[in-house]
Amino acid sequence: MQDKINGLREGMFKAGYICDDRTATVLYLGEALHKPILVEGPAGVGKTGVAQAFSVMKNLPLVRLQCYDGIDEAKALYEWNYKRQLLHIQAVGSHNVDPRDVEQDIFSEQYLLRRPLLQAISSSQPTVLLIDEIDKVDFEFEAMLLELLSEFQMSIPELGTVKAIHMPYVFLTSNATRELSEALKRRCLYLHLNFPTLDLEEQILRLKVPGLTDQLAEKIATVAHRIRQVDLKKAPSIAETIDWAMAIIELGLDDLDHAVALQTLNVLVKHREDLEKLEGMIYARNDLNFQPRPVNNRAW
Amino acid sequence: MNFLNNLQGFFGDLRREGIPVTTSQTRDCCQALLLIDWLNPDCFYITLYSTLIKDYSFEAAFNSVYYRYFSSGPEILAGRQPEQALPAPLPRAETAAMAPDALPIHGMASLRGGLSQALRNPLDETLSLASLEDVQKMEALFPLISRRLASKMIKKNRRDDNSAINYRSTMRKSMATGGMPLNIMTVKRRREKPVIVAICDVSGSVMTFSCFALAMLASMQRFMRQLRTFGFIEEVDEITPWLSSGDPLTLRTTVLRKARLISSRGYTNYGKTFTGFMRRYSSSLNHKTTVLIFGDARNNWFNDEIQALQQIKTRCRKIYWFNPEPESSWGQGDSRMQVYSKYCQASFSCPNLNTLQEAIGKL
Repeated sequence: MQDKINGLREGMFKAGYICDDRTATVLYLGEALHKPILVEGPAGVGKTGVAQAFSVMKNLPLVRLQCYDGIDEAKALYEWNYKRQLLHIQAVGSHNVDPRDVEQDIFSEQYLLRRPLLQAISSSQPTVLLIDEIDKVDFEFEAMLLELLSEFQMSIPELGTVKAIHMPYVFLTSNATRELSEALKRRCLYLHLNFPTLDLEEQILRLKVPGLTDQLAEKIATVAHRIRQVDLKKAPSIAETIDWAMAIIELGLDDLDHAVALQTLNVLVKHREDLEKLEGMIYARNDLNFQPRPVNNRAW
Repeated sequence: MNFLNNLQGFFGDLRREGIPVTTSQTRDCCQALLLIDWLNPDCFYITLYSTLIKDYSFEAAFNSVYYRYFSSGPEILAGRQPEQALPAPLPRAETAAMAPDALPIHGMASLRGGLSQALRNPLDETLSLASLEDVQKMEALFPLISRRLASKMIKKNRRDDNSAINYRSTMRKSMATGGMPLNIMTVKRRREKPVIVAICDVSGSVMTFSCFALAMLASMQRFMRQLRTFGFIEEVDEITPWLSSGDPLTLRTTVLRKARLISSRGYTNYGKTFTGFMRRYSSSLNHKTTVLIFGDARNNWFNDEIQALQQIKTRCRKIYWFNPEPESSWGQGDSRMQVYSKYCQASFSCPNLNTLQEAIGKL
């Protein structure tokens, strides 16, 4: 089984995602137990990336449902294409057609708009279903989702029940802005992603940013790591570190000193207050240690 | 000792820590354990972790139980647990109960006795009695709690699912489709952003409570732009800028050092605070503002100055009061809570962090 986990990790690496032992184990368990994986963590640590890389690794289509406040069944499951239905009724209106035929016509597959969840279930090959930011939906929708995730079937009154031929691999991501229902959490395996360790971030940078020297990757990772220790409104995410590295490469620079940092810091930090704070720290010390400003001692 | 008993002891201890571990979760856990290599400590840990806890806020509690049981690490396991200990592919979890001494539990029995101190959920701890360790646990949860509160407050303002149909624009739109109204247009209701003014007692008598209230307000400030915080003991002063950074637990000391809160004797004076607030900061109030007051309403027998609170009430939308004392002691001694609470939309008794969180969530 350790081989399988290692294999999984290699596969994910080839798909462009570096995962540690823990993530790989959870992925392996999710696959073996046929359970959805609930991924939580701060913004920008690669929650969505796990699912994307997983689908690349398995070479399966990724079906993505982006949740938002106010999403309903019509947006997530299916909807009848009522505009086309109306047009069809109007078109046949002038001909002499049996109304029952018309009814059967307009409630056929042709007029069905498949939304992500139905797509994932009715697909002829297994899919990776990513339900992104599940914490944004309301409780009614969550309950509906719960039913779907336990049975993997749904009924459309006009067409009958659609049952999944293949169980999709399900990933749910959440920013923990609200507590999910116990029932939903119970059905999932829980994976909490955090900001990566220094080594891991360095590896990620080398993988994601071509043309980056090892030395520069190490430097960028170290500085990003230090910046996360500073009390900021929003700590820089991995995605932003990657952007930063790309920006530095794009500018044709091959070293990171405080002048370069001042020039490019806005790629990494997006709040004005945070930016001012970090710039202040750089000016005060003339280095990239990001220690709080030293207190002026009167004795000197 | 056998496998399932030990594991059940572990589950029991988790439950006693306040982690909801259900039967189906334990079943998942057993099934998962049969699939992995126990000698890899990371692997073993994450298997238990991902099947048993489903919320990051339980991580600290989980870790403490986990290390109590399994701190011996892989070296010891390697010494005493070769292949024969776990008959590899077991078809069902129950069979695992037959495997003797399979689970790498080290010195578990001896640790049993030492459990009683750590049985509480940090959120239920009474604030005034919270130990340093609890405080650290609570502190770890602040960002989570405040994010939830912020999103709750935003959601409150989004209740326009069944809004009315805008006939005019629906008809207008239907021209394109020959008078067939294909797109129904609805009236969009404008959302109001919450404007909050918080007034927080930072005196010594409610020290722990105000520490937490300040930390909470500070983290709320990160998610809401229109939140102003005022601190008071004897005088009232705006403390919004001091809350924007710094360690949540030292906020109170920073505030005491930087803001002018004491003029003569340093006893909490609610009456003077309210009149001072009306005099200096009444411009911060308007019909959209919600005022949150954090304090025990113990006025040290000073003048109540009810008319000042009355004025605040007429100038703002709502007043909510959060009191760290249990409701039974309101109005006893120098507590003026019963008088003041008449002017509040609602007042909440928040002896611990959970109730404080719940109370804020109810707004």
